[in-house]
Amino acid sequence: MSTVDYNRWTGKIAIRRLTTSQAWLYSVLVVLSSATVYGFLVLDTKGVGLIDAATRTIEYFGLMFGSPRGVPSHFGVFNDSTAALFLASFNLVLQTLSLAFLSTLLGGVIALVLGLFGAKNLTGPRTSNAIKGLMALIRAVPTVLWVLIFAIGAGLGAVAAVIGMSFHTIGYLLKAYSESFEEIDEGVIEALRASGASWLHIVSQAVLPSSITQILSWTFLRFEINFAVAVAMGAAAGAGGIGYNMFISAGYFFDIREIGFITYQILVIAILLEVVATRLKKRYRLAS
Amino acid sequence: MALLDVRKLTKSYGETQALSDVSFQISKGEFVSVIGPSGSGKTTLIRCVNRLIEPSAGEIVFDGKEMTALRGPELRRERARIGMIFQHYNLVYRLTVIENVLHGRLGYKGAIKGVFSMYDEQEKRHALEILELLGLGELVYRRCDMLSGGQKQRVGIARALVQNPRIILCDEPISSLDPSSARIIMDYLLKIRTEMGITMVVNLHQIDVARKYSSRILGFNKGTLVFDGPSDQLSQQKIYEIYGAEAGELIND
Ligand SMILES: Nc1ncnc2c1ncn2[C@@H]1O[C@H](COP(=O)(O)OP(=O)(O)O)[C@@H](O)[C@H]1O
Ligand SMILES: [Mg+2]
Repeated sequence: MSTVDYNRWTGKIAIRRLTTSQAWLYSVLVVLSSATVYGFLVLDTKGVGLIDAATRTIEYFGLMFGSPRGVPSHFGVFNDSTAALFLASFNLVLQTLSLAFLSTLLGGVIALVLGLFGAKNLTGPRTSNAIKGLMALIRAVPTVLWVLIFAIGAGLGAVAAVIGMSFHTIGYLLKAYSESFEEIDEGVIEALRASGASWLHIVSQAVLPSSITQILSWTFLRFEINFAVAVAMGAAAGAGGIGYNMFISAGYFFDIREIGFITYQILVIAILLEVVATRLKKRYRLAS
Repeated sequence: MALLDVRKLTKSYGETQALSDVSFQISKGEFVSVIGPSGSGKTTLIRCVNRLIEPSAGEIVFDGKEMTALRGPELRRERARIGMIFQHYNLVYRLTVIENVLHGRLGYKGAIKGVFSMYDEQEKRHALEILELLGLGELVYRRCDMLSGGQKQRVGIARALVQNPRIILCDEPISSLDPSSARIIMDYLLKIRTEMGITMVVNLHQIDVARKYSSRILGFNKGTLVFDGPSDQLSQQKIYEIYGAEAGELIND
C-alpha cells in the first residue's frame, strides 16, 4: 500500500483548473479590454465634452434624416428643377446597381461552370475538394481587398471594382451552387447514365432543371450583397455611382443633409432587395 | 446464341462478396425473375450488366459484345440498347412526362442536340405512341411530381422503351407500389415481353409474383446462384435454400 502524500495540497485550494486554450483566451481578453480602456482615456477629443458630443450627434442625425436635401450642383444639375435632381441621383443609384449586376452576372456564370466540377456527384471527390478549397481561400479574403488587389493592375475605378467583386462572388456562389447540385437525387443521374447519356446531357437535362430555382435564389441573394458592396466601392475604390457622391458629400462638402438625401435612396433599394431575398430564402429554405 | 452471357462474374467490396462466380445465359425473349433475400446481390448483378458497377472478375457478353472491355462512347452506345427501370423511378420531377420519356433517347444523341433537347419528330411521335400504349396519353405535359407512384413507374417504363432496347433490366420495380399498381406494372412488363419481344430481367422481392409472371427464375443467396430453372420447378426445398430462415415468413403470405 502506498503512502498518501498530503503535502501535495499546499496553499489555497483551487477548484478549477485552466486549460492552455482557456488561459490564452483570458489573457487575450484582458489585453484587449485594457487596450480599449486606455484608448478611451487618451482619446483626442479636441476639447469637446461627452455631453456636448452626444447632443451634437443626435442633432446631426436629426438633420440627416429629418431634413434631407441634395445640392443640385453636386449631382451635375445646374437648374432648380427638383425632378432633374432626382433624375440625376437616381441615375447614380442605377450606376451602383449596374456595378452590382455586372459583378453578379460575371461571377455567377463562372461559378456555375466551375460549380459543376465542384460537386462531388458530378466529378470525383478529388476535383471537388480541390475546387472547394480554392474557393474557401477566395472567400476568406474580403471583397474590398480583392478590389484593391486588382486595382494594382487596373487602377482604382469601376474595372477593378467589378473584377474584385466578381472574384469574391465566384467564391460565394460556387459553394452555394455545388451544394445545390450535390443535393440532387443520385438515382436520377444514374438513370440517365444507364441509358447512355453523356456527362453534358446529364448536367443539362437533369442537374440544371432540378436545381434552377435554388440557383436563381442564391444568385439574387448575392446580388443584394453586391449592391451594398458596390456602394462602399464607390467610396473606397473610386468605382463611381451613388457611393462616390456620398463619399464626396461626407469627406469634402461636410454636407450632412445631403448624406441623408443619398442614404434614403440607398435605403429604399436595399429594403426592396432585402424583402425579395428574404422571401426567396424562406421559400427555398436556403441557409446562408 | 444467348443474348446475355454472364461467365464467372464476381464482385467484391473489400471483405464482402456481393457476387461469387456467377454464370448463366439468357436468350432473347425470356422473362427472367431474379429473387433472393435482401443483400443477396440482385442489384449488384443487374448493375454489372450495364456497367453502373465495375465487376471484379468475370465476363459479361451482351449481344455478342464483351461489356467489361467497353469504354467511353462505345459503352454509351451499348448502354443505349439496355433499358433500366428503378424502384424509386428516378425521374427528373421538375420536368414533364414527355421530357422525361425523351431522356431515353440521349444515348443516341450528340452533345449539342442532347443538351438543347433537339429531338426528331419521329422520336417524339414514338414517345407519344408509347405513352398512349401505357395509358399516359392524357398526362403528356404533366409535371412528374404531380403523378402517382404507379404513373411515375409507367413513365420510367416509357423512358426505357424509347431506347428501343434489346433487354430491360428492372430493379425491384414494384417494391414502392400498392398491390393494384404493382399488378398493373407487372402486366405491362409482361405485355412488353410478349408483344414487343423485349427480354426482361426483373429483380423481385415477392416469390408469388416471380412465379406468376416469369418463365425462368434465378435464385441468389449471399452472392451465389443457388437456383436456375423454370418457374414451376422452384420447389419449397429450393425456396428454403434461397431464403434460409426468412423462408417461413415468405411462404405464409
Ligand atoms: N457500394 C457498396 N459498398 C460496399 N458494399 C456494398 C455496396 N453495394 C452493395 N454492397 C453489399 O453487397 C451485397 C449485395 O448487395 P445488393 O446487390 O444491393 O443486394 P440486393 O439487391 O439483393 O439487396 C450486400 O451485402 C451489400 O451490403
Ligand atoms: Mg437491391
